[in-house]
Amino acid sequence: MTNKQQIRRALLLLALLAGAFGGLAYRLVDLQVLRHDELSAKAELNTQREFWQAPRRGDILDANGNILATSVAVKMVCADPSLIGNFQPLVAHALAPLLKLNEAELAQKLTPHLVRDAKGEVVTNNLHYVRLAKNISDETWQQVTAAMTNLTFGVDEKRLSRIEKGFLRNLREHALFSEPDQLRVYPNGSLASQVIGFPSVEEAKVSGRLVSQIVGRDGVELALQKQLSGVAGWRVTETDRAQHELVALRDEDVHPRDGLNVVLTVDTAVQHIVETALADALQKHTPRSITGIVMRPKTGEILAMVSMPNYDPNQPNTITPETRNRVITDVVEPGSTFKIVVVSGALNNGVVKLTDQFDCDHGHFAYAGRVLHDHEAFGMLSTEGIITKSSNIGAAKIGIRLGEQGLYDYAWDYGFGQRTGLPLPGEARGILYPVKQWSKVSIAQIPMGHGVAVTRLQMLYAMAAIANDGWLMRPMIVSRLQERDGSVVQRYAPGRVRQVISDATSQQMIEALKTVATKDGTAPDAAMKNYVVAGKTGTAQKAENGTYAPGKYVSSFIGFFPADNPELCISVVMDEPKEGYYGGKICGPVFRDIAERCASYLNIPPDPKLMTNAPSLVVENAAR
Amino acid sequence: MAKNRKNQAAAIRFGPALKASFLCLLIGGSAVGYVWQKNEIYRLGQQIRQRETKLAQLQNDNKRYGDQISILHSPVMLDQRARELNLGLAPATPMQVVRLMETPVLPEKNSLRQLAQRPVTDLTP
Repeated sequence: MTNKQQIRRALLLLALLAGAFGGLAYRLVDLQVLRHDELSAKAELNTQREFWQAPRRGDILDANGNILATSVAVKMVCADPSLIGNFQPLVAHALAPLLKLNEAELAQKLTPHLVRDAKGEVVTNNLHYVRLAKNISDETWQQVTAAMTNLTFGVDEKRLSRIEKGFLRNLREHALFSEPDQLRVYPNGSLASQVIGFPSVEEAKVSGRLVSQIVGRDGVELALQKQLSGVAGWRVTETDRAQHELVALRDEDVHPRDGLNVVLTVDTAVQHIVETALADALQKHTPRSITGIVMRPKTGEILAMVSMPNYDPNQPNTITPETRNRVITDVVEPGSTFKIVVVSGALNNGVVKLTDQFDCDHGHFAYAGRVLHDHEAFGMLSTEGIITKSSNIGAAKIGIRLGEQGLYDYAWDYGFGQRTGLPLPGEARGILYPVKQWSKVSIAQIPMGHGVAVTRLQMLYAMAAIANDGWLMRPMIVSRLQERDGSVVQRYAPGRVRQVISDATSQQMIEALKTVATKDGTAPDAAMKNYVVAGKTGTAQKAENGTYAPGKYVSSFIGFFPADNPELCISVVMDEPKEGYYGGKICGPVFRDIAERCASYLNIPPDPKLMTNAPSLVVENAAR
Repeated sequence: MAKNRKNQAAAIRFGPALKASFLCLLIGGSAVGYVWQKNEIYRLGQQIRQRETKLAQLQNDNKRYGDQISILHSPVMLDQRARELNLGLAPATPMQVVRLMETPVLPEKNSLRQLAQRPVTDLTP
């Protein structure tokens, strides 16, 4: 009996043990086999971390290596509100002055809020991560960490329990942390701002974390965004409980590739000269806007490009539509500067000579039902005289002699009605209608710069072609791309587009244009002391709502020097100047000011003919 | 004739004892070595991490100081400083610039390079 009972008990115990072990075995299979993938992923998530490594955005440099835009390493200050408990006011009080934030707002940020998520469930928002301040320098961050370490809570911490002490230690050490960030800085402020452009900060979610990225919004910053931004790196690694990286367990470690430095053709000194000269003119003539460009006609390199009003890219609130780069974005009727197109075209085609005489009808010329006027009553003028005096009627008659198709072809060949190819965003094509859309009077109007619309750059581009033996050079603003160590990755060479007029015609045009900056011409104030200037004035009435607005002009002077060996081609254009409006009168002196200072800075040899009492020293080469 | 194990002398058998000690030492040493190695890996890892941070910091500082030098050398800054300090500096006019024009090389014998010297005061108009 006893034996049987013992056997039953033993069997019962065995069954229980077998059941228990069976259960354990099932759990083992469940954890290790059935849910292996899910649980191993979870386990990895607990220890493995993926860090995104931001590349450093490339700098923008001028032709001499001066910094125009650079990136500075700063910190983004973040907090873990779950570690702050009820000490938000205390922490906010300590940090607000350092982070230059409002104390109440900071305390609010540090407080977890209950919100409903997409599924409608109530969750604690910002429980572990909230951003407090951006663009914090290393020095400030040191002060922040010191302030956190020295926080006092008004209690005797020796009497606190172990848990409470741990909480306060966590608060001091881990409640605030920083993330590396970059700040785009423009050391010269508004200098060349429209060429450089400005960036904005965009946020993207990478590995579940918000990551800030600098993205160009205008100018070179936008045009060369890809080259400047570089390629991000990453690091897959494991961390300990205190979130310190366990370097030995690093899995993947791909370093970021920094963005390339962009070297411009712009020369900071020339840009500064132009900006100061234009700022003075802006104050004197109070135009709506004023632009200036300096280009090397032989290469197409742009040494300065200014449009005022401008902005300071360090202060995004100064950026408005009014501060756009009008040199390339705005189109205007050029006025008399366009006469260079018709006259050079006619000379090149051989339909006129410089000495040919034209009757300028004493300032009134009826054509196709319209009467054209000159600013003065001229009688007979030679082709050269038409340029010298800027006769509209003379230019119209040359245009009629050249013919509609001829005029259109030359205008097109000079690059009007198409983009110049300058690598800056927002360049306008201008307006050059095909001949079939021309009215009867177009052939008389276009030669005097009406009925076409051009950008300031296009007009300079055409003048530079005349200065360069008729060769149109592609305008250059970017010289090369290079690594941080200075090794060149890509160099942009000057590029010839086409020869619009022959060398001989170019020389004839230069001879005619030399007469403009003389006492007989329309821009005597553009004449330089030691250099012969060749150029052309322009004064175009502005068109508004289909008619020409009285009293509103676009005044310009485009010229180059030394006329016989052109080094610089300079354009100055004012939109709606208030004090005076003739291009030669108001833009000519600005041109001269810029040209003389640039000549001195760039050490351009003066014209020997104009050098009186100049020291000339001759070094004889030694033949050994 | 085999020895009777029961009548064997109760002397310490050094061989097996040594073997056992050696085995224990080996296992113990391996364990300590393993722990030491892990500790070293962790310590070196921390050092690597700290030095990487330091290197990044130094690179940032280097860049920052380089930028500062470059900015202080920029023409705009120099112009601004020249105005602030009222140094009375002005660009040289073409008349103040002496240009040395080299004549073509002539196959003359024993001709020496002659550089005309002018007193500096003569160059300023």
